[in-house]
Amino acid sequence: MSKPTLLLIDDEERILRSLAMLFRGQYDLLATTDPGVALRAVTEQRVHVVVSDQRMPQMRGAELLKQVRARSPQTMRILLTGYSELDAVVASVNEGEIFRFVNKPWDAAELRDTVAQATNISASLFAAGPAAPPEPLQTETGQFVAPEVARPETILVLDDDAEIYHAVQDIVGTSQPVIWARDLDQALTALEREAIGVVVSELAVANHSVTGLLKMLKAERPEIVTIVLTPFADVSVFIGLINQGQVYRLLPKPLRRGAFSMSLASALRHHRVLRSAPALRAAHAVETIKAPEEVSVATRVMGFLSRMRRAGAAT
Amino acid sequence: MNAPLRSGSESPADLARLRLDVAPLAPTATVDAAAEAFLEAANARMLCLPIVANGRAVGTISRHTLNNVFLRRFGRELYGTRSVTTLMNAEPIRVSLSAPLDDAARFVAARLGAPITEDFVLEDDGRYAGMGVAVDLLSALQQRVDSAFTALKASQAQLVQSEKMASLGQMVAGVAHEINTPLGYVRNNVEMVASLFEDGVQTLGEHHKLLDMLTADDLDEAALAKQIARCSDLGASLADPELLADTRALLRDTLHGVDTIKDLVVNLRNFSRLDQSRVAEVSINDCIDQTLVIAHNAIKHRLEIIKRYGENLPAVRCSPSQINQVLLNLITNAGQAVGEDGGKLLLKTEADADWLRIHIQDNGRGIAAEHLAKIFDPFFTTKPVGQGTGLGLSISQQIVQAHGGTIHVVSELQRGTKFVISLPLRAASESALAA
Ligand SMILES: Nc1ncnc2c1ncn2[C@@H]1O[C@H](COP(=O)(O)OP(=O)(O)OP(=O)(O)O)[C@@H](O)[C@H]1O
Ligand SMILES: [Mg+2]
Repeated sequence: MSKPTLLLIDDEERILRSLAMLFRGQYDLLATTDPGVALRAVTEQRVHVVVSDQRMPQMRGAELLKQVRARSPQTMRILLTGYSELDAVVASVNEGEIFRFVNKPWDAAELRDTVAQATNISASLFAAGPAAPPEPLQTETGQFVAPEVARPETILVLDDDAEIYHAVQDIVGTSQPVIWARDLDQALTALEREAIGVVVSELAVANHSVTGLLKMLKAERPEIVTIVLTPFADVSVFIGLINQGQVYRLLPKPLRRGAFSMSLASALRHHRVLRSAPALRAAHAVETIKAPEEVSVATRVMGFLSRMRRAGAAT
Repeated sequence: MNAPLRSGSESPADLARLRLDVAPLAPTATVDAAAEAFLEAANARMLCLPIVANGRAVGTISRHTLNNVFLRRFGRELYGTRSVTTLMNAEPIRVSLSAPLDDAARFVAARLGAPITEDFVLEDDGRYAGMGVAVDLLSALQQRVDSAFTALKASQAQLVQSEKMASLGQMVAGVAHEINTPLGYVRNNVEMVASLFEDGVQTLGEHHKLLDMLTADDLDEAALAKQIARCSDLGASLADPELLADTRALLRDTLHGVDTIKDLVVNLRNFSRLDQSRVAEVSINDCIDQTLVIAHNAIKHRLEIIKRYGENLPAVRCSPSQINQVLLNLITNAGQAVGEDGGKLLLKTEADADWLRIHIQDNGRGIAAEHLAKIFDPFFTTKPVGQGTGLGLSISQQIVQAHGGTIHVVSELQRGTKFVISLPLRAASESALAA
């Protein structure tokens, strides 16, 4: 069997040389400083993983990865950056739907693991073949059109602000049930009772951070798709939500109706894809949680989820 | 005519502190009695004395009026026994005790004649509460102005400082990126070479074992053959020419990366000149180059830099860290004024006998005519909240002016903007730069 293909792109040749050495032997390596070359490569051949720098003269990494995704959605995308600017982080999620955000300087062993994991996932996506995820954003019209489904999944809104709940209700109309949770317990109850497909969440409700919940949820129930809606812009929190929570969209408050409605539509669509093709869920494998304050929440969520699973098995 | 009665948010105690407890004259008192009262030690400072009936001031009698009357022939005889009210000023200056000091001072100053012949009456809810001396009021006001001025200077210094911190933050973001890139490959290379080193150590150990076996008295041929095979395998993978060449390249890159980081740090130090005297003779071209390194991250992908430096320019005596701050502000503004691509930045320097000029010109969006007069005002900004404080140009202008220089701007919408900084070659006084 041939080796998997890894594409490296950075405007600094020395980074390319260094990374090439790190992955030497295990991969078919493509290393370039030219985004055009990179995009041609992912179109013409099967590339499993792209590791891209963020700041490059011709094109930003987030933009490049967005285009990679459009051309080859099965290719897993990793952004490697020297300084995490907010715009880059947000764009890499919303447009690039990236797998991981890695800071320079990186840890060699960790990066090797991350790339290996991405490679496995990509290989299984390629193997799944035609069931590969569609292009949700490309077909977007901005108008919310709820597809016909037998049992519409519930949208869970986790926010102190009633306005967000009402906005979601307005957008989806009667086609989807919407539940409003104002604290962790209400959220867990909702998760227990309803078939939740999409979570729209703030970073904190009732003065408690919910990032731990969001991360744990993705680890345990990867088919649930998360949109984070927040006025806060903390780069490190966002990176955590990407790497450990595979958050689907990061949207700013105050809410912009058009963008939100589009995101909600594609989140629902993405959820359905994940539900119907379990193999694709692997694309959202998450890192384990690191922050101690999140671990305690995670343990709680964990306990609850396993209870739920046992209950499910009993029926 | 009463001073505005304002229940003061300012301390109402101010006027009270100026209050003098002057015993008033009754309206029935004679002019002679008033003259006697002026001679009392307690009233030595008073220009006028109050005349009070039923607790309310009805007027004042002034020293000046008495003098005028008594200086006339038979003045004393004619007026001495008359009631003091015949000579009184029925419209004295009345000030409410609770009025703010500034308002009171403005009010009193507007009503004082020349020469000053009157004091003012202090009233509490319309009732006589004592007298105040105009000069005391003015000197209290002076003190107030002095301390306000000091506070203003302090907050101005604070503004300059916070603008400094803001440009420092910007710089740190840029430099962090510049440093993290070499740091990225340096760290990775070191990790890889370290693991190669361990391979080498292991190989060396096996070779030692082989040597031991060869020099041992009892030679086990089978074991020896195995050991030789092991050594040659290990040696071959380590001596792989491609691996060796790549590793050498990695080590070269690593040294290069460390030097890059060193240069960045040197530049950072040059930029801030924290380790040098505040004022120095410097080459402005060097200052621009240092600033460009710092601004590199913010502008490198947006602006094409065109340098047209004058040659053999005289050194300028200035505070280099301040001049760098100005340059960074102007270059950052230019970077923010151009679009995503096609931006150009022209940096030109020239000198004549008296002045050195720096031209900083961009082909960005330009400045609207109605904004042009305001761009040097503190807090004027057209940038969204959180992006611009509007202090950049205001601070820059102050810095340049403190150097005895000027800063001019010409701009055309959609075409671009040019700033010209002129610095005198005969330096401004040291003290002006010590800000
Ligand atoms: N090169 C330029 N091109 C176009 N407009 C400019 C340029 N330089 C300054 N301006 C205008 O002048 C305004 C004031 O500039 P200034 O540097 O004082 O503040 P700022 O850039 O808005 O904020 P800050 O510098 O505090 O981040 C800017 O908001 C912008 O409208
Ligand atoms: Mg500015």
